Amino acid sequence: MDFRLSEDWDEDFADLATVEETDLRYYVAPGDVMLGSGQTDLSANWGWIPLIDFALALVEIADALSAAEGNETFEFTESEATLQFDRVGEEVTITSSYAPGEIRAPLPEFRNQVDDFARRLDKALLQKHPELELNPEYQRLKLFRSQ
Amino acid sequence: MKSRQFRRVILVCPILILTLVAGWGISMAAGQVSAGNAHQQVTLNERALRHIRQRHWPDSPAPGAGKFAPGITEESLREMIHEAVANGHSRENTHGRPGEIYEYDFGRPIGTTINGGPASRLRVVINTRGQVVTAFPF
Repeated sequence: MDFRLSEDWDEDFADLATVEETDLRYYVAPGDVMLGSGQTDLSANWGWIPLIDFALALVEIADALSAAEGNETFEFTESEATLQFDRVGEEVTITSSYAPGEIRAPLPEFRNQVDDFARRLDKALLQKHPELELNPEYQRLKLFRSQ
Repeated sequence: MKSRQFRRVILVCPILILTLVAGWGISMAAGQVSAGNAHQQVTLNERALRHIRQRHWPDSPAPGAGKFAPGITEESLREMIHEAVANGHSRENTHGRPGEIYEYDFGRPIGTTINGGPASRLRVVINTRGQVVTAFPF
């Protein structure tokens, strides 16, 4: 599970210290999501995926699946595309609406991958745009929660 | 005595009925006004419009995003958004995203899905202040 930040940011968001939650989750920090295992590639190399939103949603999904068996659906912000996460026992299966195949991972590994994704994204964003650290909404969202 | 009681009933009953009817009418009117206001408050600002153009206009190169059919204009987009919000199904946004999602099936192609197939539905994302965040066919 990895990401690639796009350089194509909306010029309206010059002051990242003040942008609101909706802006952070829909307009700021777009990029690609790489998601694969073995022969299966569920990557979304669309360039526009809001990565802060993606990480926050995945953390919430990992929290839910860590708490109990079940399924969770991630809806992409700009299309009908979805990622489906199903936990049966101690295994999580990931499928998508836009690419064939499935990825299976032990629950602890899935949890670690999600936390690592969020931690690396948080680090990359703050290195590139340190003013985000001054943004109260960004701080409240807690992209990376130290364990 | 009986005649006085009869007059009292004659006077009080209509007042009671009128009060009840008026109260019901006010609450109904308030409900309608509230819904109407909610719909009227949906606004499409320049930034959201630019976002929709960049991602979802017929000539947008953005992959993996629904596209409007050729011929879409800012005016027709606004009309479609208002129709979707007025008549569509609404639900809370997902996974902690603030605001609501409205979805409406126009019963005719309005664009294409990410696979290039015909799309007849519109999804409109509204933030907590009634502002359109994004809108796209699916």
